[in-house]
Amino acid sequence: MEYVNPEGLRLDGRRPMEMRQIRAEIGAVAKADGSAVFEMGNTKVIAAVYGPREVQNRSQQISDKALVRCEYSMANFSTGDRMRKPKGDRRSTEISLVIRQTMEACIMTHLMPRSQIDIFVQVLQADGGTRSACINAATLALADAGIPLRDLVTSCSAGYLNSTPLLDLNYVEDSAGGPDVTVGFLPKLDKVTLLQMDSKLSIDLFENVMQLAIEGCKAVANYIREILLENTKQLEYRRGL
Amino acid sequence: MGLPDASGDLSSEMEVDAFRRLFPLRFYERHLAESIRPDGRPLGRARDTTIALGAVTSADGSALAKIGSTTMLAAVKMEVMTPSMESPDEGCIAIDFHMPPICSPIVRPGRPAEAAPVVSKQLSDTISSGKAAWMAYLDIYCLDADGALFDAALLSAVAALFHLQIPAVSLNDDGKIVVSEEDGGKLEKEPVNKEKRKLTLRSIPFSLTCILHKNYILADPTSEEEAIMETLVTVVLDSSSQLISLYKPGGAVLAYTSAVQDCIALTRQRVRELQKILDEANSGMEVD
Repeated sequence: MEYVNPEGLRLDGRRPMEMRQIRAEIGAVAKADGSAVFEMGNTKVIAAVYGPREVQNRSQQISDKALVRCEYSMANFSTGDRMRKPKGDRRSTEISLVIRQTMEACIMTHLMPRSQIDIFVQVLQADGGTRSACINAATLALADAGIPLRDLVTSCSAGYLNSTPLLDLNYVEDSAGGPDVTVGFLPKLDKVTLLQMDSKLSIDLFENVMQLAIEGCKAVANYIREILLENTKQLEYRRGL
Repeated sequence: MGLPDASGDLSSEMEVDAFRRLFPLRFYERHLAESIRPDGRPLGRARDTTIALGAVTSADGSALAKIGSTTMLAAVKMEVMTPSMESPDEGCIAIDFHMPPICSPIVRPGRPAEAAPVVSKQLSDTISSGKAAWMAYLDIYCLDADGALFDAALLSAVAALFHLQIPAVSLNDDGKIVVSEEDGGKLEKEPVNKEKRKLTLRSIPFSLTCILHKNYILADPTSEEEAIMETLVTVVLDSSSQLISLYKPGGAVLAYTSAVQDCIALTRQRVRELQKILDEANSGMEVD
């Protein structure tokens, strides 16, 4: 099947180096300490952060750091066919672990000992790149909750089909069987915290695809920064400054 | 805010927020005596309600309903199934209500909220099955829990069913039903139903939850009010003002029939408001 036609357009009309349209909104869940909705094309994800708060299970309390917990779940209607077991299956458990470890690296946990930070991510619509959308939404939610972070974490995926590196794969391109590289990136510190790849790719091509994903992460970081600045301005207006 | 010094105790020297946390019942009673609630609403008024149809594009029908801060997302997915022997003309509907941990600080992952199965059961009793041998899976997700969960859930479920369009299907060679492709090209097989059609609903249920406290009736409680004053009454009426269900699960306040009739009167008013909001949302969709 042809994923990139001879004119250089993909199945949804994008160019190979073009990301899908991103949209983010802060403060979607009133009850949460911090929350955000993040959309990348048709993938829509909502993240809520509760914390820092008292540890619910005393035996897990850490005396010098905060405990970070994360749960990823997909709504039953998020994918094309209705899902039977939206959480507790292997994929959700793995993604929960991945998101937790990625966010833990950038939260300054030593500032909040003996407390707990919960990150809950719910996928409302899935069209490829859910992992990346979840990490981006979690970053915004943590910033909205006022939790001290070393840097923003942004994420984007890239692949390689029909001899072309492609940025930000959607579901059809992802299920094509080609490689899928997901990168989690700290823009200010210029460091990579998450790097996952499946399928096969030669080393020199991998360099290219990873760089492409990092460029995507930087673009997402710019957008997230704009959203956060806009949010801060709104808060200032409301306080009458 | 200067509080009238009723009993010369701590309450007159404290700040409003501290008083609200430490003596919530007295805080509320001070307001109820003036026939008003802390958020400024009169006792019989519900919070601002909005409905957005078609929130989830991958589902056959969906709706997002917000009552105040309480947010519910409902989506319907249709699957073809073989009908049962006793009722070959009827399909069925499976309703599932989820409270994911994002909705409230008191829901812990791994343990479903206490409210979830109760609301699930109430919804199943209220909504009746559709036509043809379709299986409809209705999933409702609570995205923000701020009181009146059943009302918001029922509203979003009803709106999603309103928005539902049953996909066109055709019979393929194996005798199985497949969903027709929508590419606008030639269809090799004759479609069983030519185009997507909307579900015909007999009558639409709407509900209102009220709290009874001493001799006050508060309509549409927030989660703070629900936590302090525990006696709830939920009334479900349909669009022709017939009573579908009445639910009063115990509680400290024993209600005379007059109180129940007042609740029903408030619900009747609310039904008219909700009907208008649903119609506006629907016509808003058709203009596009």
